[in-house]
Amino acid sequence: MSIIQQHTQATLSDAWRTINIDALDPDSSVNFDVSSLSTPQPEISEADARQIAAQVRQLIRGGDPEGALRGALENPVYNGPELAKDTHLQTVIEVLQSIKASEMTPMLQRIYGTPGGPECLDVLMKYLYKGMASTSGSSHGGASSSARGTPTPRNMTPQATGFSQIGAGRPGAGGESTGGAMSVLLSWHEKVVDVAGLGCIGRVMTDFRRV
Amino acid sequence: MSAPEVHHLFHNPIADHSFSADRKTLAIARDTTVELYGKVGNAFKLKDELKGHDKTVTSIDIAPNSGRIVSCSQDRNAIVWEPTDQGYKPTLVLLRINRAATFVRWSPNETKFAVGSGDRLIAICYFEEENDWWVSKHLKKPIRSTITTVAWHPNSVLLAAGSTDAHARVFSSFIKGVDARPDPSAWGERLPFNTICGEYLNNSAGWVHSVAFSPSGDALAFAAHDSSITVVYPSAPEQPPRAVVTINTQLLPFMSLIWNGEAEIIAAGYDCEAFKFKGNEGGWQLSGTVEQKSRPGMGGDQREESALNMFKQMDLKGKVKDDTQLKTVHQNTITMIRPYQTNGDAVTKFSSSGVDGRIVVWTV
Repeated sequence: MSIIQQHTQATLSDAWRTINIDALDPDSSVNFDVSSLSTPQPEISEADARQIAAQVRQLIRGGDPEGALRGALENPVYNGPELAKDTHLQTVIEVLQSIKASEMTPMLQRIYGTPGGPECLDVLMKYLYKGMASTSGSSHGGASSSARGTPTPRNMTPQATGFSQIGAGRPGAGGESTGGAMSVLLSWHEKVVDVAGLGCIGRVMTDFRRV
Repeated sequence: MSAPEVHHLFHNPIADHSFSADRKTLAIARDTTVELYGKVGNAFKLKDELKGHDKTVTSIDIAPNSGRIVSCSQDRNAIVWEPTDQGYKPTLVLLRINRAATFVRWSPNETKFAVGSGDRLIAICYFEEENDWWVSKHLKKPIRSTITTVAWHPNSVLLAAGSTDAHARVFSSFIKGVDARPDPSAWGERLPFNTICGEYLNNSAGWVHSVAFSPSGDALAFAAHDSSITVVYPSAPEQPPRAVVTINTQLLPFMSLIWNGEAEIIAAGYDCEAFKFKGNEGGWQLSGTVEQKSRPGMGGDQREESALNMFKQMDLKGKVKDDTQLKTVHQNTITMIRPYQTNGDAVTKFSSSGVDGRIVVWTV
């Protein structure tokens, strides 16, 4: 029961499908600021982010890594300049690196059990993904962005295994520090999923509040 | 607790299912057709196919008293199938939408039905005697995106809808001449068409997959793509709600939810099994699964592992355990759950349909 009763040349060709009719509709989401649907988040400036960082470092030095982690996660930078967001990411990564592997799971379980704890772990997951995106970005950076476009012989491995590109960005090219940061993030990722479940990953993807 | 009744109908996804009031006929939305299955003994056998849509059928509902079936499809149409002696007589309903119709439900009094669509509106359809056709009225404001789900209040005037703009909303669908004036409730007193009685958003603003009013109609629950369930208790018209309780779970998102009395919610979705939530205004929590997975004789993986079997598996598949089967009855996402047998407000049995082509009737 199609609306089109008679097929003409115009309806048989599908050129009309390429017209973006949403652009012509004043009510469509294209012509509408989607962010106005959600509740506005408080704005955090770079100075605020630095202040939080100082407080968090104080707690780490004072031997309270759990307090430091909570402090960092309870003040995420959702709305602020890029620099503030990056500063806070560095703060979170610093805290994560300061915590011993054996303490991760018990600490996450303690945080998850407290009121507001599950929310904190969702925030942590957001920073883990952001951290992975930015550390891999900086290690790939100049070297492999050119390699992606036009593969140079330097990055070619004898067999086309599909692993060659991943291999190129690994420790040799990226250096010890980014590789180290990545392994910290990956081990935290595993532990957070153990405690907060797959729902936590889903929330990072659906949440409109980006860190 | 008795074992669930499993009907594996075919190997295609089931978008929606609906049982007739006597539970002897089962309607399934499969591809572009509506398939009707009749109960023969303990099994369901295909007895009729309703063809009329030319794109995927997205939703289907049987009115329990009149036996009318309404279906809607991505071809932007809804069809009412009237049972007659010569089979089902289709009537096309003019929805006046230019995007897919996504979801359809009869109102409890069966005089209206609501069709959600990708056109950022809900079409409320009712029968006009003098012209002998179904007409539709649009609920438009303030929907900003595709409607994924709708649910009726017991008074047949209020309608809840979930949308991909992350809001669950409560509207009035009062139609003069069709509806009697509803009793005032916490949702509103005067309810002209398109009154917005409530608009709710959860913290992380995931797409809403399912909405449901509690049996009394005084609470609203919705499930969103951030794996959460939110329950809203309204206080008074135009006032902020008395309580909004959100439960973030460790699970994958829920596609469908139903109330069992006022203090329990059953939800199912991407985890392929149903979960129970218990609570009240003070708070809600996950209380367990409906399915008991340690049931004996459930599948191959609980068979006694003999050495021969182990080496056979290693030889055939390169691994010891056969892990291609999920431990749940449904082997893929559950798309819809509906009450099957009720006792007052309590649900004693409910049915589920999934992407795996199974219909399962569960005992709560």
